[in-house]
Amino acid sequence: MSFTRMMEGNEAAAWGALLSRAQVVPAYPITPQTELISSIASLIAEGKMKAEYIKVEGEHTAMAAAVGASAAGARVFTASSSQGIVFMEEALWMPPGMRLPIGMCMVNRAIAPIGGLRPDHNDSLLQRDNGWIQLYCENSQEVLDTIIMGYRVGEDRRIYLPVATCYDGYFVSATATPTTIPAQTDVDEFLPPYKHEMYSLLPEDWKPRPYSENIAKARYEVQQAHERAKKVIEDVDKEYKKRFGRGYDGALEEYNCDGAEAVLVTMGSMTGTVRDVIDELRVKGKKIGLVKLRCFRPFPTEELQRLAKKYNAIAVVDRNTSYGSAGGGIVSMEVARALYALEDRPLLLNFHVGLGGTDVTMRQIEYMADKTLKAVKAGRVKEAVDWVELKDLGPVM
Amino acid sequence: MMLDNKFDEYYEKNFYQGGTTCCPGCGGPLLWRMILEALGPNTIVYGDGPCAMCAIRNIKLPTFSIHFSFIADGSTGILAALRARGRQDITVISSGGDGATGDISLGKVSAAAERNENMIQICVDNEAYMNTGIQKSGLTPFGAWTTTTPTGKENNKKEIPMIIAAHRVPYVATASISYPHDLKAKIAKAKGIEGFKYIHTVIPCPTGWRFDPAKSVEVTRLGVDTWAWPLYEIERGTMKISAKPEQKPIKEYLSAQGRFRQMKPEQIEYLQKEIDSKRVTLLESNGKRLFL
Amino acid sequence: MVRSFRPEVDQNKCVKCGLCQQFCPEGTVMLSDEGVVFDYRFCKGCGVCGNECRIKAITMVREV
Repeated sequence: MSFTRMMEGNEAAAWGALLSRAQVVPAYPITPQTELISSIASLIAEGKMKAEYIKVEGEHTAMAAAVGASAAGARVFTASSSQGIVFMEEALWMPPGMRLPIGMCMVNRAIAPIGGLRPDHNDSLLQRDNGWIQLYCENSQEVLDTIIMGYRVGEDRRIYLPVATCYDGYFVSATATPTTIPAQTDVDEFLPPYKHEMYSLLPEDWKPRPYSENIAKARYEVQQAHERAKKVIEDVDKEYKKRFGRGYDGALEEYNCDGAEAVLVTMGSMTGTVRDVIDELRVKGKKIGLVKLRCFRPFPTEELQRLAKKYNAIAVVDRNTSYGSAGGGIVSMEVARALYALEDRPLLLNFHVGLGGTDVTMRQIEYMADKTLKAVKAGRVKEAVDWVELKDLGPVM
Repeated sequence: MMLDNKFDEYYEKNFYQGGTTCCPGCGGPLLWRMILEALGPNTIVYGDGPCAMCAIRNIKLPTFSIHFSFIADGSTGILAALRARGRQDITVISSGGDGATGDISLGKVSAAAERNENMIQICVDNEAYMNTGIQKSGLTPFGAWTTTTPTGKENNKKEIPMIIAAHRVPYVATASISYPHDLKAKIAKAKGIEGFKYIHTVIPCPTGWRFDPAKSVEVTRLGVDTWAWPLYEIERGTMKISAKPEQKPIKEYLSAQGRFRQMKPEQIEYLQKEIDSKRVTLLESNGKRLFL
Repeated sequence: MVRSFRPEVDQNKCVKCGLCQQFCPEGTVMLSDEGVVFDYRFCKGCGVCGNECRIKAITMVREV
């Protein structure tokens, strides 16, 4: 039976794992993911979830156990944050290379030092090279829906890649919003049981892991899976919307962009606040919209290029740092590369904000929108990378 | 041709393809042949451990490995998946080298023991990081030459079987390829026990220990007969000595291997005393319950 | 297989105890109905079989 109630992101994620019929959950607690795994442990103890929760002694082991379990044919779910993700870094390279469709929640939290317990996106963005599919969620409902969709995408026989459902610690993980839990029977119709067609570890059925002996070829195959995943993510989202009434526009969502001259590009929970500010600004006649980047890997290059043709300026809001980079934060560099191919490129601005989980305030968002529109008027960008939090913008509200 | 076919059949029957990329005289393939004979075909082999990699590749049963820093953890996942799929009939044997089990993944083996995972965890101990060219590990014996201990290892070999036994697991044993019946019996016994089983074998390495490959089994046998590598079981905390060979002087074992060439007489004396006291302690504890 | 030595057995001396088969690291020694046979495709010539044979029925003959 479907039901709706106020639910924090972590609890919604636990329900996502439950509805996806995850069978093996090897996990290690770390703030701000802890309630996710303790919710799963409770759901199992209450008999609501039929899974085995392996109480591993560290995150490195958690991902290794996930790899073993997935290879042996079970649907696996795990989750971690920040230091935990970095600790399992060696293990995180295994699932994409081995083509194991593990489902994982990366509950974003800043990486030490110069961090804390609150979110920024460096922990999940660090995985951008190893082949994990990455989807960023704005609220509890999206977390639950994305986990379920993630298994459909990852276990697709054209894909076989692990999927990371990323969401901000505290702002999503511990903030309660109205969440609809779909009925198990409906989810079962949408998500069939896991069966890896490429290999099996059972003695009577042993298919050794297939991969090209040629390293370049094997890697290219992962790349091709990412290319194919772009369409699969769109299609799965459309089907989900049809079935459950909730969709997320695939990889990119344009919000209140009709007639806009410029857009802010955001990822994660700050998107929610930006929606409100953009609405206010549009009412005031400011021609600025919002583009929510939902899918970071595979990066929606073609979609972004199509979209960029409509606007004079794109301002990327980076809740991450990449010291010594070619210019600014990680997302802005990906966007820059995507736009480079265009003959007529919009102006590109980059803002660092919310680092270490500091609040992204409405005033900061107004400031960013303002600066972007000023750049459109001037026809050029004065400050390519703007560390917003170092600016004195006056009182918060 | 006829002979080739006969051998091919033989390899199929033993679940082990002859002709590995291991060094001549390596104890690794020998160990696996013995293990697979004792376990039978309904088995999944998990593990890497660099040198053993060459031996594991020739196994004709399902194998899975990640890396040597992933000991006992992937197999934990495999076991959980088998339970989820109702296939607890399959035996999972999880292996690691000495560098893996004793050093980089010791915490993992400890955790798997604490969780009482239903696997047979074996240590394929060739007493150094051999695959990377003979560097010292925590399980390298006192006085041994390695490229990182050119004047001989300064510290003692870790007693991993005792460490694991202190986790109160159902079964711990030491074994040797020079006593195949004992080894196979221990593997078969472990297969029938529910919970975490740990079996530690020392594998001869002619390349790293510096001796003529033909002496592989002979040197390993000397290790047992000098009580440098005593054979015992710890079943539910109770010590049970497997063999009480007539003790040969440790000098025989040391002089058979080039890696101990630089040992001084005082060091050899020290080692003999250590082994003597170890032997006495073991014999005294025979039949007794160890640990608190 | 390129090796320095290859094992050869004197079938008359051999008492068919099977120790050579048991201890061959590669598994390339087999005690068959025709006596002890070697798989020269894969034998590395390590000499363990010769060393373990209690009655020295196996000799290591230089190949290269």
